Amino acid sequence: MKPWLVFLALGATVGPLAAQTRVTLGASVVSVRVRNELPVGGGALSGVAFGGEGTLSVGRWLLAVTYHQGTVHPDSGSTPARDLVEGGAAIGFRPLGWLTLEAGPRGRTYVFTSGTQRWLFWELRARAEETFIGSGVKGYAELWRAASANVSVPEPLDHAQGGEAGMTVRVSRMLEARVAYRIDHAVLGGGSRRETVDGIVVGVGLARR
Amino acid sequence: MKQHVAWLGLLAGVLAVGAPALRAQSSGDSLATAIRAYRNLEFEAAARLLRREVTRLSARRAPDTTVTRALVYLGAADLFRGQRDSAAAVFRRLLILDPGFRPSGLIFPPEVTAAFEGVRRETRSVVIAAPRDTVIILGGGSFAARLLATSFHTVEVTLRYEDGFPFRSLYYGPIADSLSVTWDGLDPTGNPPAVERLLLRVASHSPTGELVGVQQLPLQVRVVRADTLPWPTQPADSQFLPERSGSGPAKRALTGGLLLSAAVVSLPTIVGGTETSSGPRLAVAGSVGLAGLVGYFLHRPGRPLEANIRANHAVRETWQQRLATVQADNTRRVGDVRLAIRAGAPTSLQPRRP
Repeated sequence: MKPWLVFLALGATVGPLAAQTRVTLGASVVSVRVRNELPVGGGALSGVAFGGEGTLSVGRWLLAVTYHQGTVHPDSGSTPARDLVEGGAAIGFRPLGWLTLEAGPRGRTYVFTSGTQRWLFWELRARAEETFIGSGVKGYAELWRAASANVSVPEPLDHAQGGEAGMTVRVSRMLEARVAYRIDHAVLGGGSRRETVDGIVVGVGLARR
Repeated sequence: MKQHVAWLGLLAGVLAVGAPALRAQSSGDSLATAIRAYRNLEFEAAARLLRREVTRLSARRAPDTTVTRALVYLGAADLFRGQRDSAAAVFRRLLILDPGFRPSGLIFPPEVTAAFEGVRRETRSVVIAAPRDTVIILGGGSFAARLLATSFHTVEVTLRYEDGFPFRSLYYGPIADSLSVTWDGLDPTGNPPAVERLLLRVASHSPTGELVGVQQLPLQVRVVRADTLPWPTQPADSQFLPERSGSGPAKRALTGGLLLSAAVVSLPTIVGGTETSSGPRLAVAGSVGLAGLVGYFLHRPGRPLEANIRANHAVRETWQQRLATVQADNTRRVGDVRLAIRAGAPTSLQPRRP
């Protein structure tokens, strides 16, 4: 199917949500755990990253950006700590009230004393969200998979995917709190290199319609 | 040919339009001719012409002013013919038709005006003047009829059933030139009339109490009651929100919490990162599960839903206010009873003389 036909079909579904605009801004802290499996061994690092995220929804469309920065320390051994910077942007479309489909780049950078390691994923993401306690508590679960990637390590990327699940609690009319678990898993070099990043996300956000 | 037909059609139209006017003019000419004969002192001819004219005018229900004009000249002509009884009868008829009529002293000589005055003094009759349609508020308004008398005498004004039995007495006493009688629309017991036809009867009496004339005006009466408004329908069940929570929200909270906890726990398995520590995700899964459990108890079945109770109360309150408004309006409408009165043509009855 031609791309413009896809956009035409999506545009036709905008419907009554077209006039709704929603902006959210949030700050969050992520307890990050990074586990590497390399042909020559592996290791685990953990730390905390701080950052923020924001979304702009217009009708069924949305634009989302995230940014986190922190430092992860090795759980054992004398490996030096490394800085972690992660950010992404995505354009999304909500075909159903509870389902959002997103696509966009997400990058992760480890800053060593000896250099920088960059991971860039072009992700396709599906997110399901629905209230489950009254009208104030929403649960959500999302999965993503990298359509392509650009990684500054010797091994070629086989696949990368991840997900996040948690809940958001509407504390007041505008204030929301969030707690979630997220995990990313990448396999490179035919399984010779694996990297898993997971952690708890705790955040607060402001939502304005 | 067509031109001839058109001219004939036009002529027929003109004749059709002009015929009534011509008839009226002819009538006017006849009366004028009769009056001219009177003025020429041709009393015999004038009386003959005027009598014929009166008959014709009466048959055609001509305006009273025209008839009275013919009658006064006829009475004068009879008087000058020496037919005093006939003149008196003509003047009496004139007075019954128009009690307020007086012959002009500029037109008629004193003999005529004196004779007319003598007849007027001896004639005891009234004319009833009433509006054709009247609507009154029972107990609050009144139907008014005006009585015009030929001379001072005593009248008895009553309302009667169609068969002549008394319904209600309105007035008994003297009348000079005129008198206004009123009726509040009620029967003697203070209730609306139970019949649809009544007679307004004015009986004229001589000074000795003898009945000398009766005028009757038929009245068609109809009690008009305002329709009451239907009560507003009670709010349908579908308009009310449940006042007790059902099991749905509680189940949803519990099921949602469990499913979400399961999703959190199984995420590493789904994405392939099984080598992660289970601590963080179990913490999140536990939090979500606990939230679901708390949600279950917060939304447990049978819990009173205050917002819905308030909303339902507002619905009932609105309905009761509308009901009270309608009830008050209906109370007013029930009390608002009117009587529609339609007056017919008056008739005159002459009592039998012994």
